[in-house]
Amino acid sequence: MTAGRAGRLAVAVVALLALAAPFLLADQPYFLHVLILTMTFAIPAIGLNLLLGYTGLVSLGHMGFAGVGAYTTALLMMDHGWSAVPAMAAGAAAAGALGVLIGIPCLRLRSHFFIIVTLAVGMILFALFNNLDGITGGAEGLPGVPRPGPLDLGFMVIDFRRLGGFYWFALVVTLFALLVQYLIVRSDFGRSLAAIRQDEILAAARGVNVFAHKLAIFGISTALAGLGGALKVMFLRVAAPLSFELLESINLVLLTIVGGAGYLAGPIIGALVYVAIPEILRFADAWRLVLFGVILVAMTLFAPRGLSGMIEAGWRRLRRGPAVTGEEAADGRPA
Amino acid sequence: MAQALLEQIINGTMMGSIYMLVALGMVLIYGVMHVLNFAHGVLFMVGGYVCHFFFTQVLDSYLLAILGSMAVLSIIGLALERGVFRRLRDNLRMQVIASLGLILVIQNGVIAIWGPNALQMRITTTDIRVPIGELSFTLQHFLIIGTVGVTVTAIWLFLTRTRIGTALRATSQNAEAAQVVGIDANRMYVASFLIGCALAALGGALLGPLFLIFPTMGDLPLLKGLAAIIIGGMGSIPGAIIGGLGIGIVEAVSTLYIPTDFRDTVVFAALIAVLLLRPQGLFGVRVRGEA
Repeated sequence: MTAGRAGRLAVAVVALLALAAPFLLADQPYFLHVLILTMTFAIPAIGLNLLLGYTGLVSLGHMGFAGVGAYTTALLMMDHGWSAVPAMAAGAAAAGALGVLIGIPCLRLRSHFFIIVTLAVGMILFALFNNLDGITGGAEGLPGVPRPGPLDLGFMVIDFRRLGGFYWFALVVTLFALLVQYLIVRSDFGRSLAAIRQDEILAAARGVNVFAHKLAIFGISTALAGLGGALKVMFLRVAAPLSFELLESINLVLLTIVGGAGYLAGPIIGALVYVAIPEILRFADAWRLVLFGVILVAMTLFAPRGLSGMIEAGWRRLRRGPAVTGEEAADGRPA
Repeated sequence: MAQALLEQIINGTMMGSIYMLVALGMVLIYGVMHVLNFAHGVLFMVGGYVCHFFFTQVLDSYLLAILGSMAVLSIIGLALERGVFRRLRDNLRMQVIASLGLILVIQNGVIAIWGPNALQMRITTTDIRVPIGELSFTLQHFLIIGTVGVTVTAIWLFLTRTRIGTALRATSQNAEAAQVVGIDANRMYVASFLIGCALAALGGALLGPLFLIFPTMGDLPLLKGLAAIIIGGMGSIPGAIIGGLGIGIVEAVSTLYIPTDFRDTVVFAALIAVLLLRPQGLFGVRVRGEA
């Protein structure tokens, strides 16, 4: 996506706008709220994108891992007085460690079986969040998750308990997740993942340790999900099981596809559409999710590369360049 | 204790029969088309709603309402096979994602039409009690067990004794070889989807009067049906039948020993254990490149 000068310029403009949003939207707290909510979905979606878009593995339990990160962070902050950043790091590490533990036996399974195992793991995690009343507070969850303390920059003090301040905090966390995604995708490790997606047997024959690569990316992916979950409960100030149920995991897969799996910007675009579309389609209240679903099914049929792919194709047509790129499209070409 | 155990075994057999219908439909579709249809649970739910519609608005006969619901769902299945799944053949990831999208469409479509609240369907078989010793069950319990028993037997005879059934099994075993001997793959896809959706409708129509009809009524049968076909062995029809029944009984009996909240956890833990220890399932045959 960022190839070319125009692309870089576009990224810079978007980044500046994102950074300045609390000033631009100072009297529009609702929009800031929507943007922060978008970021809480975008971060787990980035984790899922690494899995789904770049490695070709489907996980239907990712919000369960987000929940592990969320509850770990919430408990460390509330019961043990940890400050926000180390607690979030610990939450992400816990989710990633669980991902590795589950990945060791389960990543040996292929295709449908791995999908179903992730679904089962997500269901079990949700049952634990919902029913271990002594630890997770059961169905009511853990209310009163604190937000980070104020940060003194010398020339200004950022109060993260206010919406504008928390927006910057969320933005930094999101940029961190995007950076992780970028570094992985552009590394040799990332290229090996793409090789696994395109042809696992061929990749193995070329000397890629398929299992180790899958395990590593599953761990990173679940850790990112945990990071997103931690940000979400900090924003909502409550860790509740309904944020981490099966339907949320399914929606995460769907929004990643809509945004464009295998594109760096895909998770951001997908999360934005997912959070914003109910607002845009207010006029058709009862039918808006139906419409969203119809769009999604149509996309699997006609635009499997998602919105990112469509934007890219449109841009290329404008420039009269070659029409095909992107991760999924690359699969058709000889390696 | 013996009383409680008997009660749970009968409850479990009833729920297991429902899971059997879901699992049988999914395994037929999976075997023939290699599509894992996550939308099967919402089709089950639509079966309940359509049955309710026919019963209250049109026919006033439970039997005819069930048959009507199965017919409508067959048509929906036909449309989904033609419109969505056939086009995504050989693209496993997109098929799964399309079926997830269909959940969104169908579940919210039902909410938009019928509203989010549960519907009640009053039929005589839920009011009549059948006493067994000190226990008593609704007649509907036994109606479900009996109907499913007959249906599963009929499907089994269809698959083993008729030309189309044999062709379906052949396609399921080896699609290419089946084509070589002149079996039209597209017809088999249609047949498997038709039967699968009709079975889902039957399940929803049978369970609806007992436990109300609501938009998420198909979610758990879907998950248990999935677990049944994994535990029974992906693609194995006897596996799906025994797996479905077994899950129903095990989860019902497990409530005697562990809190009800963890009933589903037991099933999914068993699912993961089977996958790890015997990935081809209890009755499956290991296929190269599959597990």
